[in-house]
Amino acid sequence: MIIRTDKLKVGYGKKTVVSDINLALLAGQFVCLLGPNGSGKSTILKTLVRMLAPLGGEVFLNDHNIHELSSREIARTTAVVLTEPVSPGLMTVYDIVMLGRHPHTGFMGKPTALDTEKALEALRRVNAANLAARYFSELSDGEKQKVMLARALAQEPKLIVLDEPTSHLDARHRIEVMLILRQLTQEKGVTVIASLHDIDLALKACDVAVLVKDGEILACGVPEDVLHEEIVAQLYGLENANFSARLGGVELKSRQQGAVVFVVAGGGTGAGIYRALARQRLYLATGILPVNDIDYQIAQSIGLDVISTPAYEAPQEASYQAALRQVKRATCVIDSGFTVGSQNLPNLELLRAALAAGKTTLTLRSPDEARALFSADRLHCARDYFELISAIRKTIG
Amino acid sequence: MALFLLGVILFLILNITLGSINIPLPETVKILFRAADTDTAYQSIIWQIRLPRALGALLSGAALAVSGLLLQVFFRNPIVGPHILGISSGATFAVALAMMGSYLIGMTYVSPLTLSLASFLGAMVVMVIVIAVASKVRDVITLLVIGLMTGYVASALSSFLIAFAQSENVFRFVIWTMGSFSAMTWDKVSLLAGAGIILLIGSYLLAKPLNAFLLGENYARSLGVNVKMFRYLVIFFSCALAAIVTAFAGPVAFVGLAVPHLARLALGTSDNRVLIPASVLAGAAVTLGCDLLARMLFSPVELPVSATTSLFGAPLVIFFLIKGKTAL
Repeated sequence: MIIRTDKLKVGYGKKTVVSDINLALLAGQFVCLLGPNGSGKSTILKTLVRMLAPLGGEVFLNDHNIHELSSREIARTTAVVLTEPVSPGLMTVYDIVMLGRHPHTGFMGKPTALDTEKALEALRRVNAANLAARYFSELSDGEKQKVMLARALAQEPKLIVLDEPTSHLDARHRIEVMLILRQLTQEKGVTVIASLHDIDLALKACDVAVLVKDGEILACGVPEDVLHEEIVAQLYGLENANFSARLGGVELKSRQQGAVVFVVAGGGTGAGIYRALARQRLYLATGILPVNDIDYQIAQSIGLDVISTPAYEAPQEASYQAALRQVKRATCVIDSGFTVGSQNLPNLELLRAALAAGKTTLTLRSPDEARALFSADRLHCARDYFELISAIRKTIG
Repeated sequence: MALFLLGVILFLILNITLGSINIPLPETVKILFRAADTDTAYQSIIWQIRLPRALGALLSGAALAVSGLLLQVFFRNPIVGPHILGISSGATFAVALAMMGSYLIGMTYVSPLTLSLASFLGAMVVMVIVIAVASKVRDVITLLVIGLMTGYVASALSSFLIAFAQSENVFRFVIWTMGSFSAMTWDKVSLLAGAGIILLIGSYLLAKPLNAFLLGENYARSLGVNVKMFRYLVIFFSCALAAIVTAFAGPVAFVGLAVPHLARLALGTSDNRVLIPASVLAGAAVTLGCDLLARMLFSPVELPVSATTSLFGAPLVIFFLIKGKTAL
C-alpha cells in the first residue's frame, strides 16, 4: 500500500470541499479522479501531497502519517505535476529535469554521475531527450508537459500525483502522456494518481476510477464496473450527451422535431451517417438493427429512433412492419451501403419499398452496385457525406 | 564570468586612480604597495579617501545585486529589487527621524554614525514586520503587496517630518536619500565587509532551494524544500544585505534590480549557483563604474550615485532585454 486515506476531509480553511475519502492505492496502480470542474479533484490531490492540510482524517504514505514526515522524505517518495504554468526563466530542459534530483542531491545540489544518468533516463522515457539543450520557455505546451513529467520521474518517486496532466494538450501528446504513465505503472511499479477530464481515456488507461461529485466520492472501482451510462450522466450532469460504456465514449444527443429521415444501416456503416445528420438537426430513425450491432449502440447513444431485432436471428415480422411504417412517414430514406447477407434481407426490402413508394432515396453505394441491387433510376448515389447532406437539404428545403 | 571579474579589477583601478586631483598611475601603484618615496598628500588621498570609497562601492554593489537576485527569484517577479519590501523606506524614515527629530530636541549636530545606525535600525524594524507577516500569509504575492504597503506607510511618515522641518535639513535629507559613497571610511568599510561577506556566503548556500523556487512555491515544496524556513531565510538575507548598504551609503537605486538581469542575460542561465557569484562580480563592477561617473562627470561637483546607476542602468537593461531573451 503506497498511499491510504482514512476518513479524509479536504478543503480550504473552513470550507469543506470533499469529505469521507477512503482510498487505498497499491503499487503499480493507475488511478484517475473524474468529476466536473470544481468538484474537488485538485483539492484532494493537493491534500495527498501535503500542499494543503486536511480538514479532518489522515493520509498515510507508506504507512506513515504524512504530517510526521519531513518535506524531503515526502519528496523522495512522491512527485507532483501541477496545472499551474511554470516560467523558470533561462533554464534549459536538462536543468529543469535535474531539479527533480533535488531531494537526492547534497547541500549545494551538485549533481553526481548517477544524478546525470537518472535525469537523462527520465528524458528518454518521455521521448524528450532531443529537447535537453533547449530553453524550457521555448517549448510547446505538450513538450513542456512531457518535460515536467520527466522532472517528476527524475525524482524516482514511488507515487506520482498529476493534476489534469492532459489538459491543453493536442491528441498526440494527450495519448503519449497517458501511454508513458501506463508504462511507468506497468514496468516500474510506480503508482499514478491523476485527475482527468477525458472519460474515454480514463476508461481505457486506468486501473481504478474515482468519481468525485458534490462533496463526496460518488463511486470508486474498476472503470468498467464504475463507469456506466447513468453514473456518468449524473457525474457531469449530462443532458445533451450520452456516455456509452461499450463504445467507451460520449455521443452528442440529437432529438429534433420535423422531417423524418430513415437510415437503413448495419455493421457500422450507419455510424457516420447518424453523426453527420444529427448535426443537421434532423429527426432520425434507423433500422432494422440487431441489438448486437455496433450501429445499434451508436444510434442508441445519439438518441435515434431505433427499430431493433434480437441478435443472431433474422428480423422479426413485427420489426419489419414497424420499420415499414417509419419508411412511409419518412421524407427521405438513406441506404448506408451495408453488407447484404441472409440475416438482413428485410433491410433490402425496406429500401425497395421506399423506391416503390416514390420516396427520395439516397445511397452511399457505387452506381454499379446500386443498379445491381435495386434496378431503379430514382436512387441517388452520393459519393461522400457532403453530397449526401446536400441532397437531403435539397429534398427537405 | 571572467569578464565580470575583469570589470571589477579595471574599475577598482580606475576608481583609485581618477579623481579631481590627478595622481599618475605609476605613483598610485607605488602608494598602494606602500613604496617609500611617495607624496604624503597623495598617500592620504588614496589610502584615506579613494580606496575605502572604492571598496565600499564594490561591497555595496555586490550586496545589492545579490539581495535583488534573491528577491526576484523568491517573488517570481523580474521587477523586484532590494527595496521592494520597504527596506529603504524604513531606513529613510529612521534617518529622517534622526536628522530632523534631533533638532527638535535641541541637538545641532547628528553624527554620520548615528545616521547609519538609525538607517540600519529602520530597515531592520521593517524587516521584522515583514517576517512576522510572512508567517501569516500563504502566498508570496500577498507578502509582496504587504512589503510595498509598509514602504508607503514609512514614506508617508517621512513626508510628515519633512513638512515640519527646516529647509536646510530637508536638503541634507534629500541628498542622503539619493545615496553616496563619499562618506566611506575604513571603519565603515570593515563593518560592511564583515557583515556583507557573511551574508553573501549565507545567500550562496541558499542556491539549491532557490533553484527549486524557479518552478514556483508549490513545486519547490514538492521537491522537499522547507518553504517556511526558506521564506524567513530569503527575507532575512536580502533585507540584511540591503540594510547594511543603506546604512552606510543611503538608498542606492537600481543596482539590485538591474544587475541580476545583466548577469542572467550575459550568462544565459537562471541557475542561481552561477548567478549568485556572477551577481557579486557584476554588482561590484557596475557600482564602481557608476560611482566613478558620479564623481567624474561634473567634477568637482559630485552627483548622487543613484542618479548615475539609474541613468546608465535603465537603458542598459532595456537594451539587453530587447536584444536577448526576456526572462527571469
